[in-house]
Amino acid sequence: MTRKFHHLLPILVVGSLILGACSGGEIGADDSEEPTPTDGGDESAAPTTAAFPEGDFELELWTKEGDPQIAYVEALAEAYSAERPNVTISVINKDVELLREDLVNTALSPEAAPELVWTVADHIGPFTSAGVIQELDGQIDTSIYEAGALSAVQVDGTTWGIPISNGNQLMLYWNKSLAGEEAPADTDELIATAQENTEGDNFGLVFNETESFWLTPWLAGFDTAVFAEDGTTPTLDTPEMQAALEFLYDLKYTEEVMPGECAYDCANELFLTGSAAMIVNGDWELGNYAGELGDDLGVGPLPTVSSTGSDPAPYTAGAFYMVPSAIEGDMLTVVLDFMAWSTNAENQIQMVEELRRLPANAEALEDPIVTDDPLLAGAAEAVQKGTPQPTNVEMRCVFDAMNTGIRDVLGAGNDDFAAVTAAMQEAADNCVATL
Amino acid sequence: MSQTTVPTVQPAAAVATPRAKTAGSYGDRRDPPLKTAVIHATLLLAALIAILPVLRVFSVSVRPNDRLLSRNLNIFPEEATLASYGHVLFETDFPQWLFNSLLITVGTSLVGLIFAATSAYGFSRFKFPGRGVGLTALLATQLIPATMLLVPIFILAIQLDLIGTYRGLVIAYSVTSVPFSIWILKGYYDTVPIELEEAARIDGCSQLEAFVRVLLPLSTPALAIVFLFNFLAAWNEFVLARVLIGSQTDLFTWPLGILRFQAQFQTQWGDLAAASVLVSIPIVALFLYSSKWLINGVTLGGVKG
Amino acid sequence: MDVDRSVAALSEVIFTLAVFAVGVAILEGVLYLVLVRWLKARLALPILLIAPAFIGLTALIFYPLLWELNVSFTNMNLSRLCDPGIPAGIFTECRGQNMFIGLENYINVFTRPVLQAAGFFQIFWQTILWTAINVFFHVGLGLGLALLLNRHLRLKGVYRALIVLPWAIPQIVSLAIWRTELNSEFGMVNQLLALVGVDGPTWMTDPFWNFFAMIMVNVWLGVPFMMVILLGGLQSIPTDLYEAAEIDGASSRQSFRFITLPLLRPVMVPAVILGTVWTFNNFNVPFVINQLELETSDTLVTGLFRAAFQYNRYGFAGAYAFVIFAILLVFVIFYVRRSGALRGADE
Repeated sequence: MTRKFHHLLPILVVGSLILGACSGGEIGADDSEEPTPTDGGDESAAPTTAAFPEGDFELELWTKEGDPQIAYVEALAEAYSAERPNVTISVINKDVELLREDLVNTALSPEAAPELVWTVADHIGPFTSAGVIQELDGQIDTSIYEAGALSAVQVDGTTWGIPISNGNQLMLYWNKSLAGEEAPADTDELIATAQENTEGDNFGLVFNETESFWLTPWLAGFDTAVFAEDGTTPTLDTPEMQAALEFLYDLKYTEEVMPGECAYDCANELFLTGSAAMIVNGDWELGNYAGELGDDLGVGPLPTVSSTGSDPAPYTAGAFYMVPSAIEGDMLTVVLDFMAWSTNAENQIQMVEELRRLPANAEALEDPIVTDDPLLAGAAEAVQKGTPQPTNVEMRCVFDAMNTGIRDVLGAGNDDFAAVTAAMQEAADNCVATL
Repeated sequence: MSQTTVPTVQPAAAVATPRAKTAGSYGDRRDPPLKTAVIHATLLLAALIAILPVLRVFSVSVRPNDRLLSRNLNIFPEEATLASYGHVLFETDFPQWLFNSLLITVGTSLVGLIFAATSAYGFSRFKFPGRGVGLTALLATQLIPATMLLVPIFILAIQLDLIGTYRGLVIAYSVTSVPFSIWILKGYYDTVPIELEEAARIDGCSQLEAFVRVLLPLSTPALAIVFLFNFLAAWNEFVLARVLIGSQTDLFTWPLGILRFQAQFQTQWGDLAAASVLVSIPIVALFLYSSKWLINGVTLGGVKG
Repeated sequence: MDVDRSVAALSEVIFTLAVFAVGVAILEGVLYLVLVRWLKARLALPILLIAPAFIGLTALIFYPLLWELNVSFTNMNLSRLCDPGIPAGIFTECRGQNMFIGLENYINVFTRPVLQAAGFFQIFWQTILWTAINVFFHVGLGLGLALLLNRHLRLKGVYRALIVLPWAIPQIVSLAIWRTELNSEFGMVNQLLALVGVDGPTWMTDPFWNFFAMIMVNVWLGVPFMMVILLGGLQSIPTDLYEAAEIDGASSRQSFRFITLPLLRPVMVPAVILGTVWTFNNFNVPFVINQLELETSDTLVTGLFRAAFQYNRYGFAGAYAFVIFAILLVFVIFYVRRSGALRGADE
């Protein structure tokens, strides 16, 4: 998903090894609360004590979390050092694109690699291609994590990371003062509600109509997916894909419930100012929207597609630990211990309180702190309908190809859907061939 | 030394000749009033187009909240506030980034100038094998798209462990401006009669002393222009800085800092606009102050002879 | 501002410059001993003068060029991310995989899509269009404004200062502005158009209007430079020529044609060459304004950037870069031969 990418002034990325893929939507999700240190003093939360290596260990942890969320990561690191005085962890923030580039570049200079990274799942593709992270199978107990969250970092049965949070999914947010208390149950209701709220400079439904990430949830709604069974062959030129594109086209050009040309900032602005009744956007905006709209905010999964009866399935990702290839021996033991400790139920509940993100730890996910909060519960419902975002390098080709398609349909108003999907398929195939 | 058209990439500076002094605006007669009005209207329109986007940034920088996207065309919004300026100046690292930029820019402009001044002398006053090739090669470097060198320089910097330090950036800035500067200075030196140096040598100066004591002082205008060009280039540069400084926010130069305001998922429009205004004011002032020099620098060389 | 950090920054810059100075001193010392004391070379002085710059340029420009040339014969990409070094043929393996593929990249440049679908020739054509239209307007509008300002006119200085503004403002700032003002819902451009009753186009998504927007922004950025240069050229034309022409009964059009244009030529020719190369190589404007990466708005250099950095096709990008370089070289040689603008380079 190139969502974030378009919010960078692209010249910024001259020299950055952009894949076009990115994530890290959580940035800015919740800047109202300043995270405070976890109290890691509790006995049950203490790291396992069996054969912990002696001697001093200094770990470098690269994290995609910026202000203010990084404070939580730093607090975690300090709490761990309090438990393990021979370990010090320095937390370094790297913007999500930069983190990917820098770690990929450690293929050329392995000594520059950190001991641990905290990043998004779709970095697995480039990281494994460049051979800079190691397999974690058999090294860590994965049973404590929610299966969906864990599967995002498993490729062909190999586990490349450990989940920290779960989410990143697209959801439907609505302004209750405009669109009513209840979420539309299906797309017919969605369209009806949207039409009631469209007039002049007010729109029924908005979303970032320039990025294929916003197309992906609807694919499951029209019973298709971007890859064939093998998980790597793009299947973009299908009647189902054409139906999904036609659905979006109709929203804009037939039902006319959407604004003229609206990318991320524009959609966000319209929703925040009450000019849009509903928005499709990611969970990372939950804190922001809740702060602006207060009790008027409704959150839930995307509505069922009326024509097929299928539910849309947004891609889910989240934050993950990954371990660079060169880490071994006692250092690896320490790193694995920190990963397990920091994702135990207690610390995960702490994370929900401070970051308002869904935890990856299965026990924490059942905690009242999640289930009793209507917004988080709505988010949890949405994430459960989701599907892990593919993490292979081919996915980038698919995102790029679909970007061209959705821009052609929604931007230029091209309604020759068969030609659009054929072009998408060709572009994706061309790209895959160069990998 | 023949007086053909000066070989200029950036046309060279030249000593103001008496002829140039008699030159001036043509049409000493007054234009008829109607014509004057049309000219004023045209220039006014051009000026308006030039400054309108700039006024908009100013307007965003004094808006009360973080909303850039607003359907409001007022230059002075209601409830205008300087809060964004306060925030940028006192609660972000922006002043630090400006300081870093100033440091690097002044340092590297000086080093680049010294390299260019001496090399240009070599090219201007000596005939040696490879001189033509050298000058042509310098010219050819100006054709290289910057992106072409980015990957190799980046990988070279990784291998030399220069990422995330100023060392790489200082070296790069000092060197990349040199070809351009050599051409400007060589063009200028060529216009200074060699007899002046010869006279100095008769008085007992060595060749190097003649260069330092006679030619360099005479070349002050050209040296100033070269320094200014290098300064502006390094001050506004961000591609190499992005590659070589990476994520070390402590070391950011101001363009990287400005981009950081925009790099967050939601752009901090107020900060971005305020920082843009702050950084533009001194540069625009410098530019307007020095624009007469710049004009002379980039043009006179081309028309002498 | 943090004092410790400022001191650290200051000391690092000073340290680097000091290392520079020491390096140059050692170099000069060695060269002096070898050339002057030992060989007693006649041309010792120019070599001493040029050596530091020569070595710097070799390290920063010529070595990277050689490296790039070498990479262009390999299939270096994300999954074969090893430094192939110099020369090719020695380090041709990356984690057990062969990297050397000969001229394949150069063939692919012309036969395969450069990015997703657009091939080399489509992008080349777009680049020519982009360059030609821009240079035309830079010179045309720049000359027009320069002629207007080269008169006795009140407020001349004010006009000039204002019109120069787009050149003076740091480009990173002005591009950020334009990008926002071209937003079709909230941007100033469409709001102004709405005031006069025009429904503004969708600048981001419509291929034609996106290309149009790129050119519009670059004309806005580039006219002041050309105006300033041409104004300087105009001011250096002696007024007595015009007076003489007037006495001879020449119309103002004839004066322009037979005095202004020929005398402006020595300024114009290098400015046009420069302008062409700069526009051709302009990366920032097409990259920033084309934020949705429409391939119909790509130029050769933005394509180069995307191939190398977004698609990580280093080998292919290397070959592609040399093709671009060759095109520019041919253009400049051709133009220089035709105009004789660079006579004197080897005198």
